[in-house]
Parts: sequence; C-alpha cells; structure tokens
Amino acid sequence: MRIVKHVLLVFLVFISASCSKLILQPADFAWPVENVIKIDDKGFIEEPRYSFTINVKPLFQEEFADSNLAIGKEIRIIRDNLGYYYLTGINFKNVYLFLPDEGGMQLEETYLISETGLLSPVMNQKSPNIELIDGDKIYILNNNGIVR
Amino acid sequence: MKSKKVINNIVLACLLLLAAVTYAQSDFEKTQNFKTRYKQLEDGIKDAITLEECNTIGESIAKLKKEFINDKALLDKTLYPETFESSFTKIEKALEVRKGDFTQIVELTTEVGTLKTQITEISEKNKSLIAEIRQLNLKGEKDAATIASLQKLVAQLRSNIQQRDMLVRDIVDSLLTQFVKVPSTLNDAEKQNIYSKVEAGNLFYNIERTISDNIQFMRVTELTPEDLSEMKKQHKDFNKVWRQIGPRLADVYLGKQDKTTEIASIDNMFSLWNQRINEEIWNQINKLFREKQISLLQFNNGDQFTTSVVSFIDDEIKNIGVKRPEESENTYYAFTDSVWFQTVQPNWVPILIENKMMTEANKDTIETRIGKWKEYIAPASAFNWYYIILIAVIIVLIIAYLLKGKKKTNVDIPSADSNQ
Repeated sequence: MRIVKHVLLVFLVFISASCSKLILQPADFAWPVENVIKIDDKGFIEEPRYSFTINVKPLFQEEFADSNLAIGKEIRIIRDNLGYYYLTGINFKNVYLFLPDEGGMQLEETYLISETGLLSPVMNQKSPNIELIDGDKIYILNNNGIVR
Repeated sequence: MKSKKVINNIVLACLLLLAAVTYAQSDFEKTQNFKTRYKQLEDGIKDAITLEECNTIGESIAKLKKEFINDKALLDKTLYPETFESSFTKIEKALEVRKGDFTQIVELTTEVGTLKTQITEISEKNKSLIAEIRQLNLKGEKDAATIASLQKLVAQLRSNIQQRDMLVRDIVDSLLTQFVKVPSTLNDAEKQNIYSKVEAGNLFYNIERTISDNIQFMRVTELTPEDLSEMKKQHKDFNKVWRQIGPRLADVYLGKQDKTTEIASIDNMFSLWNQRINEEIWNQINKLFREKQISLLQFNNGDQFTTSVVSFIDDEIKNIGVKRPEESENTYYAFTDSVWFQTVQPNWVPILIENKMMTEANKDTIETRIGKWKEYIAPASAFNWYYIILIAVIIVLIIAYLLKGKKKTNVDIPSADSNQ
C-alpha cells in the first residue's frame, strides 16, 4: 500500500508538471521613464513608444465616480520590472497597479497615497521599485505595497 | 561653542534636505527638458547665418552635454532609438556640416569679390576699346596701319568680352550651387546668403552690362559668320543658365519690387540680344546680295528670306525675254555663283539651320527654285540637243570621210586588173 502511495505521488508530480504553462523567465518590463499622456475625446490614451491604446474612462469612474472627467486630462503611467503598470494623475488619491489581461488591463492593487489628492505627481523608475514624488513628498512603491 | 556647532550642523542638514527635495524631479521632465533643449540647438544650427553663431551653438552643445552627463544612463534608454552619445555625435556632425557651408560661403564670396574687380576692369577697358574702334571707323579713308590697328582692337575687344562673359557666368554658376533646394524651401539664412552674394557680385548690373557690351560689339565691328555663330552659342549657353537661375531668383526676391523688375528686365535683354544677333546675321546675308546688285525684299527670319529669294527668282524668270538675255544671265550667275553657292550656302545656311533660324525645307525650296531658274537661263534640254546635233554632224562627217576613202580604193583595184 505504501509503495502504491509513492507511485501515485510520483505519477501526480509528472501529470502536474506536464499540465503547467510555459513561462519565460526572468524578464524585465521596466520602462526607463514614465509617460504622460493626454486622454482623447473618447477616453483613450495612446502610448507611442510601446504602442498600445487603452480606454481609461473606467479608471476615472473608479477614482472620481465620473468617467466623463477623463476627457482632456493627463494620465501618468509607468511599468515596473515585473510588468505592473502604475497609473495616477493630478487630483488622484490613489495609484493603481494593473497587469495586462486578455484585451485589456486588470486592476491588481490600489494604493491610497493622499486623502486630499495628489497635486503634481511624478513617477520615476527605481527598479525594482517605483518612486512617486508629489511636491516634497516621496513614496516608494512596488507590487507588494507602499515601501515607504 | 558646542551649541553653535550643533546649530551649524542642523542648518547644513536642512540645506541638504532642501537640496534633495529640490533635486527630486521627474525623469520624464528631465528627458523632456533635454529633448526641448536639444531641439532648440538643432533649430539654431539650421537658422545660423554666421560662423560665429555656429561657434556659440557649439559651446551650448558642450554645455548641454556636461549638464546631462549624470543622466546619461536614463537618456540612453529614453532617447531610443538614439543614445546619449549618438545624439551628441549627430548634432555635432550637423554643426560641422553647417560650419562647412559657411566656410564655403566665405570662400565663394571672396571669389565673387575678385571676379567683380576683374569684371569692372575689363568693362572699363571695353568702354575705351569701343570708343577707339568708333573713332577709327569714322575715318573716311583707312590706310593699312589704321586697318591693322582696327583689327587688333577688335580682336582685343572680342577677347575681353568673352573673358568678361566667362567671369559673369562664374558668378551665376556659383549662385546655382546655392539653389540645390527649391526657393520656397530656403530658410531666411539661406535667402540672406543669396542676397549678399548677388549684391557682392553686383550680379544684375554685370549681366546687363555683358549683354549690352555684346550688342555694342556687334554695332561697332564687322562680324564674320564664325563670329556670329560663336556669339549665338554664347547667348544660348548664358541664356540657358539664366533661365535656370532667373525664376529662382525671382522667387527669392518675391516682394522686393525693384529686384523683380530688374530680373524681368534681364529676361528682356536676353531676348533683345538674341534679336540683335539674328538681325545682324540677316543683315550680313542681305548685304552679300546687295553687293552684287541683287535687291531682295526685307527679311528677318527664315520664312521671309525664302519668300524673298523665291519672289526674286520668280520675277527674274518672268522677265526673261523682257530683259536682255545677257542681263538675265548676269543676274543669274551673280546670284548663284557669286552669292548663293559661294558664300550663303556654305557659310551661312549651316549656321541658320543649326540655330533654327531656317529649316532644311526652306533651303530645299530655294534650291529647287534656283534649279528652275537655271532651266530658263541655261536649259538642260537645249544644251543637250546642241551637243547631240554636233556629235551627229561629226559622226556623219567621219562616216562620209571613211566612205569616200573606201570608194577610192574600190576604183583603184579594177585599174590594176586592166593593166594585166
């Protein structure tokens, strides 16, 4: 019986190994610098260097409870080495972390930074972290939370 | 003392903190700042109008490089596909090219300045030569010495004019190199450079002067077909260059009324020059006929010339029988042997055809009509009959002579038999 258990365990290990998806690792997705992109009339931002377009109206719905506020505003976006996108903007209380999903981006984390809203936020790549500066306040963020 | 030291340390710490806070800025903004200043320098290079400006831009480039050297790693990534170093290599190269343009411009301006001096000297000489030739021409009777002196002066004037034409052409050619671009795409600096070159070479005045001296030269001298052919070629070449540069200069000087008028005036002068050469050629041909008392109707182009010659020949043919035969023959031989076949056809017709002043068809029409005229004056048929009759008479005489000799021999033979 004990032998049967061991055989089954080995068999299980083989099956689970053969079913796992192929992952290419390690990777570094870090952008050297954030991008500041103006939102168009339809609520889209277009990133020229990495060439993608995405609708950010739901983000404004989430942040301000009004998706129409998105039009004409600026979004600051940067990606860390693990591939998380950090999005924020002027008057945002939060920084949003997204990961790419099929046909879009999925919200992974929301970090509350300022109850009164950020006045002039900028983000810098400080791999493996992201530095957020708002006036004289400096925050260090990563996918696990606000480091300091 | 100790408390003072503590205070100092606190102040220093505060200053350092303040500096750190002030220093904290967006990498994005740093990159944008770099890109903006880089673009300003690039534009500065394009708009630079002097070598000094280029040197100042060179200093600014070095300053920019020094200022951003600490952000090299960031800029290497953000300037993609360029890097920090490649961006500076690129802008420094652009600056060197622009500096090269100015060095070339300085050289060309000096060259134009030298050409201008030479042109002025030659123009002055030409003026006095033309006056001297006029004086000599006015002399009623010209002795051998006067003629020799006249010929020498004309040769000198011809050479001077050619030399000056070449110098002016050099200025125009040097300007042509400036027009690699379409005038509408030239920036203010490039336009300014063309203005100064035109002014430095006194271009418009010199072109006008060249044309008017050539016209004057035709007036004061007697030109051979070769001279006129050469002059026609000069006009053609110069006009070709002017047609390339004239409209471009007109574009560059758009809005400067006086210059636009001057350009239009030069266009007219080129037409006038061509017209005068043509007139001179037709006058010379007409003179050849007049010298042989052949009066042709006035002509100024190939068609008129053909019509005039054909009309003259037709009149002569009509007058056969009205005029005395010797008179008709004399006119015919003067026209054909002394003028047309001796001078006009070999010397002038090729020039006329080459310069599209006359067509092959015009020439054929004239020669066909001369052939017809010849048939009336010295008909080929009459000529042949005369010789045929003459030959026939000779043959008859020979036959008669031979027959006579044979008859005589026949008569001698029976007499010999009878003696036996």
